[in-house]
Amino acid sequence: MKETPLSNCERRFLLRAIEEKKRLDGRQTYDYRNIKISFGTDYGCCIVELGKTRVLGQVSCELVSPKLNRATEGILFFNLELSQMAAPAFEPGRQSDLLVKLNRLLERCLRNSKCIDTESLCVVAGEKVWQIRVDLHLLNHDGNIIDAASIAAIVALCHFRRPDVSVQGDEVTLYTLEERDPVPLSIHHMPICVSFAFFQQGTYLLVDPNEREERVMDGLLVIAMNKHREICTIQSSGGIMLLKDQVLRCSKIAGVKVAEITELIQKALENDQKVRKEGGKFGFAESIANQRITAFRMEKAPVDTSDVEEKAEEIISEAEPPSEVVSKPVLWTPGTAQIGEGIENSWGDLEDSEKEDEDEGGSDEAIILDSIKMDTGEVSNIGSQDAPIVLSDSEEEEMIILEPDKNPKKIRTQTISATQVKAPSKKPVKKRKKKRAAN
Amino acid sequence: MAMEMRLPVARKPLSESLGRETKKHLVVPGDTITTDTGFMRGHGTYMGEEKLIASVAGSVERVNKLVCVKALKTRYHGEVGDIVVGRITEVQQKRWKVETNSRLDSVLLLSSMNLPGGELRRRSAKDELAMRGFLQEGDLISAEVQAVFSDGAVSLHTRSLKYGKLGQGVLVQVSPSLVKRQKTHFHDLPCGASVILGNNGFIWIYPTPEHKEEDAGGFTANLEPVSLADREVISRLRNCIISLATQRMLLYDTSILYCYEASLPHQIKDILKPEIMEEIVMETRQRLLEQEG
Repeated sequence: MKETPLSNCERRFLLRAIEEKKRLDGRQTYDYRNIKISFGTDYGCCIVELGKTRVLGQVSCELVSPKLNRATEGILFFNLELSQMAAPAFEPGRQSDLLVKLNRLLERCLRNSKCIDTESLCVVAGEKVWQIRVDLHLLNHDGNIIDAASIAAIVALCHFRRPDVSVQGDEVTLYTLEERDPVPLSIHHMPICVSFAFFQQGTYLLVDPNEREERVMDGLLVIAMNKHREICTIQSSGGIMLLKDQVLRCSKIAGVKVAEITELIQKALENDQKVRKEGGKFGFAESIANQRITAFRMEKAPVDTSDVEEKAEEIISEAEPPSEVVSKPVLWTPGTAQIGEGIENSWGDLEDSEKEDEDEGGSDEAIILDSIKMDTGEVSNIGSQDAPIVLSDSEEEEMIILEPDKNPKKIRTQTISATQVKAPSKKPVKKRKKKRAAN
Repeated sequence: MAMEMRLPVARKPLSESLGRETKKHLVVPGDTITTDTGFMRGHGTYMGEEKLIASVAGSVERVNKLVCVKALKTRYHGEVGDIVVGRITEVQQKRWKVETNSRLDSVLLLSSMNLPGGELRRRSAKDELAMRGFLQEGDLISAEVQAVFSDGAVSLHTRSLKYGKLGQGVLVQVSPSLVKRQKTHFHDLPCGASVILGNNGFIWIYPTPEHKEEDAGGFTANLEPVSLADREVISRLRNCIISLATQRMLLYDTSILYCYEASLPHQIKDILKPEIMEEIVMETRQRLLEQEG
């Protein structure tokens, strides 16, 4: 499948951000992404994660006859494969250019640098030598495949153990893993590739570009170095013109980065060694952390509604009809009126103290209520004082302020849009708990 | 700066909130659709062991004796007469390759392109050399499907003044199955922006041009800065379309408009929050149901 093209907006955005020394994931110009190395149960199997780019490396060995012109040297074989799960653009037949370039670079980095002692791989000169095969698979492509692949290759090689062989005269004995412990490969140094991406014709550079940055870059410079600051391979692609001091600066940066990465690799190898020796658990399954997401889930409480109807009917039939409430506004003094009757106050002792508070709050309410009522606009004149209308959406209980010497009134719960009060002559003094704006 | 954090919550399935009367017959690959052998099999099905089995995940559609499965998540399948919005990926000898979210890149032949000024003449070698001046890699165009090749590739044409290069606006990519087929796909919404609903799932939102330029032929890109009010309308529309697409609602001018109106009380950036998204889409669904029946 062809990869989706990058829109002009996104391209411009990335380039502008790089000009302002900003990267999308918040890294600095010379920062690497998080490198995570995990080992499998077999010797020589490892997965390297550089951010989201993942490479699986596996080393295997075999006894073969050597090459004719190199009778005393072992054979090294490197192979990098871009798996189809790495990116939608990788298809079985389609990836030739990138694949060739990566394979070539990897070979130059590992083979030509002589990091592995091939002489030590010889068993019987001219007849039997070890063939070491390094297979790398790209599992996920998020930019900078070459760095991740080179780290995976060297880590797998360092981790690998080949079966022990002893030669007595003409007798060659190959010991199995049970008979004798396997022997590590003899590795002189660890070359690691560091990639530099250049933008705007070499003006800006970034270390460890991710996939988006790779799409907009002009050129790529790869320097393979070991921790002794020896350059093993250097390659510039993309056709940009680099100045001498730029290349020198990059090599200095590469030196620093390689030292850090080598330290990380050593630590990872030591850890794995320790775990295996102590008999602890090792392997890929252990290195994958148990990710638990605590999900809030509102459990649906099952409600049995089968007999609701009958119960409701029972309640309705048994209940008394609601009493007729005739509301008559009573004007006590100009500015103080009372409408309606409530049910008996059941507060007991609190009655006396509460009433005093209510009286004080009452006068303020009157003015506020007045303005609210006038906004409603619908004032219908009923005519007599006998049937005032209160228009309110308030579903709250209305507490009627009780005069101490009057009969205790009942608190009435008001329903929506019942009646409308006539302003301004009658100003009901009510203490409402939460009054919503009357419609 | 105010930050918002939210904890992961298990998402409740959509069907609970839908309450649809007409349940669609949904199938996954391998499901048996019917054991009745009297049906003709259409797209998305195959015959196996005396029964009709689905090969894609989608809803079963039946027209008389033809049974087919319409996939829910699929690439765009071109049909003659569709309006598409595409992006130029390559400039080749006498044609452009356009990316339209289909299996193969669509093709826009130089001869199917409107020359600026609307003149009709044979395309010469000079036109071929000037191709890059019209459309470059990365440009967005609106076009109509002229023909479909045997391998499924689509051939486009812009032989009308309403098609052509798109100027300033916002592109939203949704699944092609969500765009409703209608008489016209170019809408001028009353809220102040215009929208092109491409059948391939690319939706283009742009500010309504004040006057229709007849002579342009759709090639001159208007690069004047767009006013803030227009930008806000366009961002709100974009978020509304994304929320409709997330809730798997069909996209057409009415649904987008209702969703826009339902989203007005909220801030533009709040529309993408899951709760508010559900609320807005529920209201839209309600209004659409009221409007229908």
